[in-house]
Amino acid sequence: MAQQQNTQRRSDPRAKVCPFCGKGTKYVDYKDYPTLKPYTDYFGNIRARYYSGICLKHQKMLRHAIELARFMGMLAYRK
Amino acid sequence: MVYPRIMPTLEPSTEDVVIYECCVLYPVLQQKDEQAVLKEVEGTFEEVGAKQIAKDLWGRRGLAYSIKGNTEGNFVVYYYEMDPSKVKETDTALKIMKNVLRHLIVKPPKGYVIQKYSELYEKWLKERETIDQVKTREKEEKLKDQVAKRAKQQARRTDERKKTEVAEVKKPMEQADLTEKLEKLISDDTLDL
Repeated sequence: MAQQQNTQRRSDPRAKVCPFCGKGTKYVDYKDYPTLKPYTDYFGNIRARYYSGICLKHQKMLRHAIELARFMGMLAYRK
Repeated sequence: MVYPRIMPTLEPSTEDVVIYECCVLYPVLQQKDEQAVLKEVEGTFEEVGAKQIAKDLWGRRGLAYSIKGNTEGNFVVYYYEMDPSKVKETDTALKIMKNVLRHLIVKPPKGYVIQKYSELYEKWLKERETIDQVKTREKEEKLKDQVAKRAKQQARRTDERKKTEVAEVKKPMEQADLTEKLEKLISDDTLDL
């Protein structure tokens, strides 16, 4: 039984930590391409919170920043 | 991202004035046209009585998607201190302006630190290059190891082959010697058995 339970669990059971909270970010800048890029997937969509582990507060900031960056042509709407 | 504080935080000089950040995207042009565009943009702000705090020229960059047929463009970021009632005026003026593909006027939050993103971007590019270089280096090292291993194996095989050949060559020689000796012994008449 114990083995079965282990196999059903995730490989890393630790809770995901928001990387922005760790740095104490108060504002996500739309001009900061290197930080925005990893939060978009190959097709240009914003990664879901479920995968990136960002808290809701920072996800909202990030989304706003990515939308502005898309308008300015720094990030793609659709690839 | 939290960067070390290089520049002072933005604080308007008087209460009637607000600090705005304006990012302008213009196409790749000749130097004369480029300077004309920059002058025009700065002129619109000066008309309204805005005071420039900082300017960041990003230079040529690739665009994520083509805008009016341009796959590359130049970015400029200005920080202006101006009357909030005159933002709309400048916004429309920028919209009408020729040779301006996109523009964005944003009010940065309190305690915002101006970053030179042109320099940071270049730094990031360099770092990324090093990562790629490391990867290529690792690949090359792996290949080298494989080649060395193969060479060693081949050398071993050739050595083994030589040894076996030598042994094979030696054995018949010995046999020939033996037969010769035997024949000699047999043919020798001096020996009386």
